[in-house]
Amino acid sequence: MPDNWGFVIAAYAVTALVLGAYWRRLTRLERNLAARIEMINRSRETLPSPPKPGHPRPKPASRPPLP
Amino acid sequence: MSRLIRVLGWLAALGLLAGLVMAFGVTPREVTQGNVQRIMYVHVPAVWVAYVAFAVVFVASVAHLLRRSAGADRLAHAAAEAGVVFLGVNIATGSIWGKPTWGTWWTWDARLTSVSVVFLIYVGYLLLRRMIDDRERAGRYAAILGILGAPNIYLVHVSVYWWRTLHQPPSLLKAGSATMPPVLWAAVLLNFAAFALLSAYFVAKRTRLLRWEQEALP
Repeated sequence: MPDNWGFVIAAYAVTALVLGAYWRRLTRLERNLAARIEMINRSRETLPSPPKPGHPRPKPASRPPLP
Repeated sequence: MSRLIRVLGWLAALGLLAGLVMAFGVTPREVTQGNVQRIMYVHVPAVWVAYVAFAVVFVASVAHLLRRSAGADRLAHAAAEAGVVFLGVNIATGSIWGKPTWGTWWTWDARLTSVSVVFLIYVGYLLLRRMIDDRERAGRYAAILGILGAPNIYLVHVSVYWWRTLHQPPSLLKAGSATMPPVLWAAVLLNFAAFALLSAYFVAKRTRLLRWEQEALP
């Protein structure tokens, strides 16, 4: 039987292509996800803190002393 | 965790390199088929790794249904993806091997048909997860499909005994004595180890990504 090296090379090339493509997909997904998480964290830091409920009360040190 | 994943990746790369050396440098030319038989060193390990991945899907799906464990659900999802990738490699390399040996790229014999059914079941499993927005419900439905899909793997294995097919009966996973010389066995086992390491790397990486997704982007 002839050796059919072309088929052997094709089989190994397809294997490398499929496994390589999946590895690249995971790597790209990881990069995109890390960037999105970083963006969310940064936007959380830069946003002003939400107002607290209730009427603002001065701290004890800022109150005038009782007569 | 990330260090373990990196170590797994490097071990898999070294294993694949060793597997290539074994397949092309150490094993002799097969007498009947010639060098085209070397396709076996990727074709057979790929299906074994896919079987293991689908077994992981089964166990993790049962765990998810019993304990409502999000970790088990993520593991099942990651293992299903890896299983589909390796089964895809098995079907593609089998088709390439079929042309010079059988004279056809594809035929509807029992082994090829049953493998295609398993492939479609797990592609369906992944599609099902994408189609349902509610993560909890998607995990539950996928777990049921992951459990129902597992018995088909047994059907693939016995298909060559139950029906008269073009595909040869197994020379490796066969009851009784093996029909292959030890050096060919060693090449198959080495490539299986390399593919298993690569699959573990894929599953660990994907599981971590799914955890990030769920924790950071609820």
